[in-house]
Amino acid sequence: MPDKIKRGDGLPPAMTRLVKELSRLPGVGEKTAGRLAFHLLNRPRDEVIALAESLLEMKERVGLCSGCFGLSDTPRCAICDDPAREHDLICVVEGPADLMAIERARGFSGIYHVLHGALAPLDGVGPEDIKIKELLARLSDPGAVREVIVATNATVEGEATALYLARLLKPLGVKTTRLARGLPAGGDLEYSDTATLQSALTGRREL
Amino acid sequence: MAAEERTPAIVLRARDYSESDRIVTLLTRDMGKLSGIARGAKASKRRFAGKLEPFSHVMLYFRRRPLGHLVFITRAEPADLTPIRLDDDLGKIALGSYMVELTDALASEENEAADAYRILSTALILLGEAGPTPALRQAFELKLLGWAGFGLEFDRCRLCAAPSETAGARLYFVVARGGVVCTRCRSEAPEGGFPISPASALALARIGAASLEAACANSPAGADGGVSLARFIGSIVDRRLRSIEFLDSVMPTGNGPSR
Ligand SMILES: [Zn+2]
Ligand SMILES: [Zn+2]
Repeated sequence: MPDKIKRGDGLPPAMTRLVKELSRLPGVGEKTAGRLAFHLLNRPRDEVIALAESLLEMKERVGLCSGCFGLSDTPRCAICDDPAREHDLICVVEGPADLMAIERARGFSGIYHVLHGALAPLDGVGPEDIKIKELLARLSDPGAVREVIVATNATVEGEATALYLARLLKPLGVKTTRLARGLPAGGDLEYSDTATLQSALTGRREL
Repeated sequence: MAAEERTPAIVLRARDYSESDRIVTLLTRDMGKLSGIARGAKASKRRFAGKLEPFSHVMLYFRRRPLGHLVFITRAEPADLTPIRLDDDLGKIALGSYMVELTDALASEENEAADAYRILSTALILLGEAGPTPALRQAFELKLLGWAGFGLEFDRCRLCAAPSETAGARLYFVVARGGVVCTRCRSEAPEGGFPISPASALALARIGAASLEAACANSPAGADGGVSLARFIGSIVDRRLRSIEFLDSVMPTGNGPSR
């Protein structure tokens, strides 16, 4: 007779669904997802509503800044809109997490350009796959930009991107610099500490 | 637990796996092509002082697992291996990427490949020292094809054996014949053929016969020679190599050096 019994996971379907959604998150397995679901079940209603609403709000409002292509919930981000910043000094980074790391280091007073990737010949990622065209557009106004600091990672892809940008920008007469070496080997900017980043910025050299 | 093994190796490709791990494919000197997982590779600068990214030349320490084809990479050290430095020049990165991708395509997992390791490491070291040149690209392609069992013939007609020197104004590279045919024999090669000048054919013959180091000092074949090699490679590799488009944009086939 046991064959006739419908066996699930012992959870009401509404919870099974939440566990399934949570376990899609990076680093979250089914067990962790189950624990999180039980935790949320036992929290006050308004706390759970706040979480659900913040998820939706983030998804609906956060897009890319039309100036630097960093994350922003307004058409232009707070950095691009800040008149106190040096708008003729652009720091080029691979991703939003790198922008955040440099902002945390507090040593930089210019604005940014987020490429959303790096040249990766072995993965077939070429110049047209990242926001290089958009960077050139920002430099099309002669004299508008004094210096471009290339702050891509100290990896093969990051170096390839920096060398490629140097090739493109030199003929435009824009001073192009690269962060000083000293980023950790394997070189993800977002994992660098503040002091390392600050000295990499001040020690930048011309490409 | 399986015993720890070690071998010199060159990283062909690597990608982040979880938050901290990397999955790496290497060409080893002693065990052929090998893929493995390096746990904590992004955090441990001590165990992975040899970076696990393309072109890295490392002493690889690993343990085999009873099931599954990924080995556990326990350490990677620069040891006293000649370092490969390509990150100061776009052309070096482009040609180096192509070299590792072609090697990856021609080598199969766990088949002995000591000669391929020697060809790749020598070529990458030369590339780092002397920069990207058509002669180095052509020499590498010919050597690696030879290793994979595709010895191409350029110094005489594949059908009548007439030497390329005396073949007249034009030869034809025929992919299916693995070499050139002369004008007279061309009608007997139904596959047609791609025109190549005797000068380019002879340049490829010289480069193919010399050591890698010596070949780089030779003058390269012209664009027709480069295209012949590219067509042959295209016919034996079952997928389009991703790095070719980038390489061609930085360093066109058979033309002068980049920069
Ligand atoms: Zn912005
Ligand atoms: Zn003939």
